[in-house]
Amino acid sequence: MSVELDQISKLVNELIKMGFEEAAAKATLSNVVMTKIANSSVSVVQNWRRVTVDLYLAKERRIFVLRFEPKSFEELYKPVESILSMSRTVEESPIYAPLPEPSKIKYVEEVYDKSIVSGMEDIGRLAERVIEVAHRERIDSVAGMLQIGEAKTVLATSKGALLEERKTFLQSYLRAFAEPDGSGQWCFTSTSLDVKGLESMAFTASRYAVDSRNRSDIEPGVYDIILSPMVFGNLLEYIVSMATGFAVIMGWSMFMKNKPGDRVASEHLTVLDEPRNRELPNFRSFDDEALETFNKPIIENGVLKTLLHNTKTAKALNASSTANAGWISPEPWNIVVKPGNTSLDEMISEVRRGILITNNWYTRLQNYVEGIFSTVARDAIFYIENGRIVKPVSKLRIADKFTNILNNIEMIEKSLYNIQWWEVSTPSKIPYVLIRNINTSKHVI
Amino acid sequence: MHALKVAGDMGARYAEARYHRIESWGASSRNGSIISGYSELSEGIAVRVLVDGVLGFASTNNLSREGVVEAVRIAVSRAKAHANIAKQAIEFSDARLGRAKYSVAPLKKFSDVDLGEKLRIHKEFWSSVSKVVQEAKVPVATLSYSEWIENKVVVNSDGAYVESFIPRISIYYNIVVHHPQKGYIQRFESFGASGGLEWLSKWNIVESSAEEAKNLEKVLLTAVEPPKESIPVVVGSEIVALIVHESCGHPSEADRILGREAAQAGKSFIKPNMIGYVIGNKNATVIDDPTIPGSYGFYLYDDEGVAARPRYLYREGVINEFLQNRATAKVFGVESNAAARAMDYASEPIVRMANTYLKPGDHRFEELLEDVKLGVYIKSYMEWNIDDERWSQRYVGLEAYLIENGELTKPVRNPVLELTTKSFYSNIDAVGKELRFYAGTCGKGEPMQGVPVWFGGPDVRLKSIRLGVIA
Repeated sequence: MSVELDQISKLVNELIKMGFEEAAAKATLSNVVMTKIANSSVSVVQNWRRVTVDLYLAKERRIFVLRFEPKSFEELYKPVESILSMSRTVEESPIYAPLPEPSKIKYVEEVYDKSIVSGMEDIGRLAERVIEVAHRERIDSVAGMLQIGEAKTVLATSKGALLEERKTFLQSYLRAFAEPDGSGQWCFTSTSLDVKGLESMAFTASRYAVDSRNRSDIEPGVYDIILSPMVFGNLLEYIVSMATGFAVIMGWSMFMKNKPGDRVASEHLTVLDEPRNRELPNFRSFDDEALETFNKPIIENGVLKTLLHNTKTAKALNASSTANAGWISPEPWNIVVKPGNTSLDEMISEVRRGILITNNWYTRLQNYVEGIFSTVARDAIFYIENGRIVKPVSKLRIADKFTNILNNIEMIEKSLYNIQWWEVSTPSKIPYVLIRNINTSKHVI
Repeated sequence: MHALKVAGDMGARYAEARYHRIESWGASSRNGSIISGYSELSEGIAVRVLVDGVLGFASTNNLSREGVVEAVRIAVSRAKAHANIAKQAIEFSDARLGRAKYSVAPLKKFSDVDLGEKLRIHKEFWSSVSKVVQEAKVPVATLSYSEWIENKVVVNSDGAYVESFIPRISIYYNIVVHHPQKGYIQRFESFGASGGLEWLSKWNIVESSAEEAKNLEKVLLTAVEPPKESIPVVVGSEIVALIVHESCGHPSEADRILGREAAQAGKSFIKPNMIGYVIGNKNATVIDDPTIPGSYGFYLYDDEGVAARPRYLYREGVINEFLQNRATAKVFGVESNAAARAMDYASEPIVRMANTYLKPGDHRFEELLEDVKLGVYIKSYMEWNIDDERWSQRYVGLEAYLIENGELTKPVRNPVLELTTKSFYSNIDAVGKELRFYAGTCGKGEPMQGVPVWFGGPDVRLKSIRLGVIA
């Protein structure tokens, strides 16, 4: 099934003829290949070719969102008819707002790297390269994944928008193991076939694996903590997902208690949503409501500047859309932290008693509104004393509040790293950060 | 069947094709008002091949003959292209492959009840939780209702042919309780099962959520810190269920033990040679059983066409059996025990749990409490996590109570149970007799696959542990 502008436009016209007052349709054609690596070998080669069609339908302020993977556009009419009859029973949505009039779209300069498309048959060679680079250090094995692909999106709305965008992407992460107990993990994401970025990722993972061998236990307690971009990226993704209008409305947000203009973080921290950053795979020129996207600070110098909105959440919370639709729930496109002016070494030198955590997983919250959470540090963790790394240490948890994480940030590195992996799904550019006085915990028996 | 033939012609030693269709419908609400309705249809074919010792997977929703042949071509050619970095050839074990057709027959079909009645639960839920809270307030309560039907046909070149039809229903809700001086308390709860609308009356969510909201208010307003010394702790079945899922089910996955998930969900504290290792006492028997009627993780044949059976993962404190698919079973020299599951047509089958539970004992709840002079009963939780080898874990209680002289007394605030896997299974000194199951969506794989599971257990008593607390 092909995905063309005239087809999607015709579909929207038909949906209006069927009796809906508003309709939007988004079709995405994607072609992706992934090599999964375990024990320095390939464990599976996965390939996907799929067409998805997402529909937004509204009638008398009732809202419906549908997703299909059809063989043809004509196939959609029958299930849509059943939605039409359903609209007579469902009541008005409390967050209803009409689709916006289309704005003039200035396109992000396209990144469509033909070497990614032509390299799909040859991804094995690329996988071999990253495994080989990782093994230049004295590691025992490496696991991870390498994925490349292309996607094309077309969007039409009953307000007259008709838009199209395509892109290519590369994502990869590796976890290296060095006997007896060393491990290190790093990732990379890009819109082009950046082999140097992949090699740097492999090197970092292996270096951390080698450096974290022969770990000691340390007592849990309050420490100054340096978080790597992997860890800070994970925590920021949770925080930014709570900085959406929908999360606030639904009671899943620590920002329920805040308004734009409130101080929510240290003055050192600025976090942006950057849909127009063409280095990161979620770049896009328009959102699902056909509004032109723009880069914007969510937190600027510690102050909450805006929640992320579509027209519905914006209306409900008396704000303006930030072009982050999602028809129901707005979402961040690419998360970027404004770089600071320090280096990792300078940061370490500022720590009297602390820990450098390079990776984490399994972040869970006791209470979203209060931002109470814990997360498990994994892979290379280093104890810092009097300004220098003293020894690698074994796993422990960060167990604190997101408000403390945000408020206690003291230093931000000047370099940014392209982060996206299993625990950070939104493409991000993140630095190392130093956070003072953070609580850690560990099993007691 | 055509896909299998084409794959064979292209040089595949093994080929498998799965037609997989999932149709779902639902609605979500806030404070009783429907935010939106949704409907989804996922339908396509997954092809898996073994070529030159490499496992290739391709999926497509182009169901034409040409579309499927192209998927086979891609799976085969790209697997071949990786032969030079395949250190160890992947092979499949022999298995009890099915040629069967089965379906779950709901007692009350989704079509038996009109939409208006189905939507009523949203208003009734809000009405009951908002009214029951007196001194505090419920600013937000959300509920999401879903019903979905999964159809599959699994065929492979070794002779399997299995057709299945499984309807499922699920609900989850979020309740936020707020008091201006005491702050917020929050609860997420989920329900899920295979079958039909008969589950709504079994769950009785309107009543149980009101009871829960009332108890959350008490915790928010009156809870005290847990005792600082080591004490007996009665761990509620909801937490026991999660513990066995996290610290027995996951580490028993053979693919994880062999390192296949090392960069994602991690490895396992269980090493390949640890069958027979003592992990707990006689009270620690954990079973994973896909065949429990009505269960959320129900199936009779896995996605490699292998006949399902209960798996005794820990038996009386001893590591007894791993969860296996055909590839891991070959490595371990055993038969597959039918643990291969795929989320949808775009997902490869990987080793998964189905319905994991701790075997119940013979204590009534009152008997678990009666000898405790000072202890804590933790009924429910919100925050939890476990390290990537499934050894060090943490559960933070939400609704919890002091036990004083064998009786439940004051609510306890945010007690933290943080212990190792071996400590948990070695410290169980009494096991309740009432087995309860809880629904969840278990995540694993790359790309992430969420599959429906039940986890279950009775209430258990731990001899002695020092609880932490969140300030």
